[in-house]
Amino acid sequence: MSKFLLDRRTVLRGLLGGAAVTVALPPLEAMLNVNGTAFADGTALPRRFVLYFWANGMIPDEFTPIGVGEGDAWQLSPELAPLADVKSKLSVVTGMQVKVPNRIPHWSGAAGLLTGIDPIGEEGDWTWAGPSIDQVFAQEIGGETRFRSLEVGMRSGGGVSFNGPNNRNPSEDSPRAFYDRIFGTGFVAPGEDPIIDPTIGLRRSVLDAVMEQTADLEGRVGTADKQRLDQHLSGIRDLETRLQRMEEDPPNLASCSRPDEPPADDSFTDLLDKGRLMADLAIMALACDQTRVLSYTFTGPVDNYVYPGIDDGHHQLTHNEIAPQPQVDAIVKQIMGELGGFVGKLDSVVEGDGTLLDNLAMLGTSGLSLGRTHSLDEYPLIVAGGACGFLKQGVHYRSETRENASKVMLSLQRAMGLTRASYGEGDAFTDEWVAEIER
Amino acid sequence: MPALTPEAPTLRRLTNDQFANTVRDLLGDDIVIPGELDPDSRVAGFLSAGASVAAFSPRGTENIESFAYILAAQAMEPDRRDLILGCTPSGTVDAACSRQFVEEFGRRAWRRPLSADEVERMATLADTAGDTLADFHDGLEFAIAGLLQSPDFLYRVELGADADGDLPRRYTDFEIASRLSYLIWNSTPDDALLDAAESGLLSTDDGLLAEVERLLAAPRATAGLQSWFSDWMHLADLPELYKESSVFPHMSDTLPDAAEQEALRTFAYVAIDTDGDLRDLVTTRTTFVDRELAALYDLRAPVRDGFAAVQHPEESMRRGLLGQAAFLALNAHPVSSSATLRGKFIREVFLCAQLPGPPADADTSIPPVTEEARTLRDRVQIHLTDPGCAGCHRNMDLIGLGLENFDGIARFRTMEEGAQIDASGELDEVPFADAVGLAEVLHGSEDFSPCLVKAMVRYSNGYREEPGQFEALEHLAELFAGDGHRLEPLVVELTTSPLFLQAGAVDDGPLEEAYE
Repeated sequence: MSKFLLDRRTVLRGLLGGAAVTVALPPLEAMLNVNGTAFADGTALPRRFVLYFWANGMIPDEFTPIGVGEGDAWQLSPELAPLADVKSKLSVVTGMQVKVPNRIPHWSGAAGLLTGIDPIGEEGDWTWAGPSIDQVFAQEIGGETRFRSLEVGMRSGGGVSFNGPNNRNPSEDSPRAFYDRIFGTGFVAPGEDPIIDPTIGLRRSVLDAVMEQTADLEGRVGTADKQRLDQHLSGIRDLETRLQRMEEDPPNLASCSRPDEPPADDSFTDLLDKGRLMADLAIMALACDQTRVLSYTFTGPVDNYVYPGIDDGHHQLTHNEIAPQPQVDAIVKQIMGELGGFVGKLDSVVEGDGTLLDNLAMLGTSGLSLGRTHSLDEYPLIVAGGACGFLKQGVHYRSETRENASKVMLSLQRAMGLTRASYGEGDAFTDEWVAEIER
Repeated sequence: MPALTPEAPTLRRLTNDQFANTVRDLLGDDIVIPGELDPDSRVAGFLSAGASVAAFSPRGTENIESFAYILAAQAMEPDRRDLILGCTPSGTVDAACSRQFVEEFGRRAWRRPLSADEVERMATLADTAGDTLADFHDGLEFAIAGLLQSPDFLYRVELGADADGDLPRRYTDFEIASRLSYLIWNSTPDDALLDAAESGLLSTDDGLLAEVERLLAAPRATAGLQSWFSDWMHLADLPELYKESSVFPHMSDTLPDAAEQEALRTFAYVAIDTDGDLRDLVTTRTTFVDRELAALYDLRAPVRDGFAAVQHPEESMRRGLLGQAAFLALNAHPVSSSATLRGKFIREVFLCAQLPGPPADADTSIPPVTEEARTLRDRVQIHLTDPGCAGCHRNMDLIGLGLENFDGIARFRTMEEGAQIDASGELDEVPFADAVGLAEVLHGSEDFSPCLVKAMVRYSNGYREEPGQFEALEHLAELFAGDGHRLEPLVVELTTSPLFLQAGAVDDGPLEEAYE
């Protein structure tokens, strides 16, 4: 590659079949600044958010670390022992309570933490009152990438990412379908030429026409329908952005490469193998800057998977197993092992002088704490990553006064650079954060 | 006429079944459906009502775009395009032909005529693309993709219109055409129904009744009305059925589908083929099994592949839907039965009771098997005696215990953990001895017949009934009972009643109230 090309980001303008095509040559890793924290033009390395959710909580007595503070001042608990390899890269916050009324088992906690608002709707037909925190971040930073956000999961039908009431972002649970969506047609690997296709411009014209139709309809419908159509419109605008990205230079991140294709039939003898493959693909999507907001639902609320070597479904066991619930405990340890592996993989992706993990904030949590009683006390909150230097890592912060779990969410908002000064509504409202996990 | 305050109209997204049926009706039975829209969600017990509140996610919108082009390409394949294209293009751009196509195909896709502006908007897409790609048919794909991505296709836009003078608001004739065809066929109106709407026939009592009867007489009405039954019985949950195969060796990849077929065929037999009393769905000894279900039920296997009608013997405990794998396995756990889940389903779905959820902090553990308490009945005694539990659990468990002779996958059993099973129970203080007794008590319950009417109206109208509709519902329930609790008269009475035809005012008040 000649210096000429490096110095001068050549823009080729062509006209093909009536559609304007913009071709820009990619920046290279050499264009990072000397300390590897930003591109040479001063653009910071992208900051990302990851939500890692698992079902049915944990057992607080087995989960809470021993000792508080930083570094060696605290030790991992039995349930957190599988996180030993990444202990210095994450913080654990215990003793907090999700403050919304605990009315809907598994969902009050998930919605109460991730939106900060009590769910709405009629008995039995609840829904989330607002967007989950990943979507709040997606509204801010999602426009920078090909996909505004991505939602994946190991199991079908789950997921805790919501755009708003009655609008869940369904988790993709097929590795093959996920691969095709991210790394199939439309994906441009670093160094590859942008896509030149006259139909891209035509597709954008169709989307414009569909938006006009939608706006016409909005004038006739009621308030709730208008909100639904607004959400649909925002999805259409995302698509326009995506089509535009296909014609631009691909993001250039050193660790990005096209992964191997998963098996076409999605057959896995071990579900956990599938979960790990989904994690690999999702992490590569982050490494390739296809999105900056990821929700990984290991298992969704009330999940009842029967783990290998365990006698009954996870949810059933949380209710039926006699204390101290050794099988539930074993499942939690298994989940923490998967979470630890996930964090470790994020930390293995090199970016500049650091890793992908250093440039993201990750929240690991569940829909409740003790599954047997659907408790919202002693809420499980694991915060991993550095958020580009904002978050302190390797901390155990423990509240002895049942502080509002929303404080952790406000710290995450701060870590992601949001200017909002508070999080949540009603009893879940807070304008305070957990200073101990921030730098 | 009973007093009626109709609900405010809302957009209803096409359910996944409706999307697939509609696309086949528009483009041909052999069209390949590219995939599913966002998952359906259930409200008031129905996916059909969830469609009144669900919004499309960004992922769903992305899928819709991709599906639209896959379908448009199929529509323009040389051997198919002549079926939907009513003109011969004169070149790569033929503005008259593209406009004619958008008018004709658009009316079917949007279930109403397009305005001149709308025709122009969509036809222009075809003209530009035809020019760019130097091919008329390739260009037309972009108009088709536009029509299929528009909210006018993806949602059922049934908003009603003000009538003359003091007359109540009513759905427009084209909207009524959609309401009829999605209720009876679970698909889009055919040309004859759209023509009836266009000519004003649906505004007349005779014209409306003639179309209702025509739709009901069509062979596809069976599949369409099976969709109501399927939604009512939550059969859409069957593909996700999860049973631990080490506990239930009869579990297989094909069992959920067979269980669905059995239930659907039983419904078609009772409700349509024999025009019977819908309450017989829970008492009939007739069912439909393939070899796999025959093995599960210890019946003689059908000689041929596929399903055959069989009669459970008189002494069998299996009766109707409550003895079938679909109901029994869906309302159970991965490794065990559940008297609570089965009782809850009967209470909520068959009797339309609204039960509060369990208190979030309730300790819901069931004691383990011990020497003294081996059966589920013995182990859930705390549900029935502890004052904190009994208020609700007696309403569920005492019904569900009547089905304890069927394990978590619907195998018959008389013993559990070495102890004899006692399957007696009670429903609204009427005692019964076993599953057969439960079926008979349910059949005679005064709540069952009106609940079937409510189930039809929730499905049809897409919302949970409000007090303003109670009187009209009671009136409809009386007509239903008077007609022998049969399906066809129920559909006729409903679709010709104000409950189906009248629309409330569009609710443009503040959003908070929409969720109260």
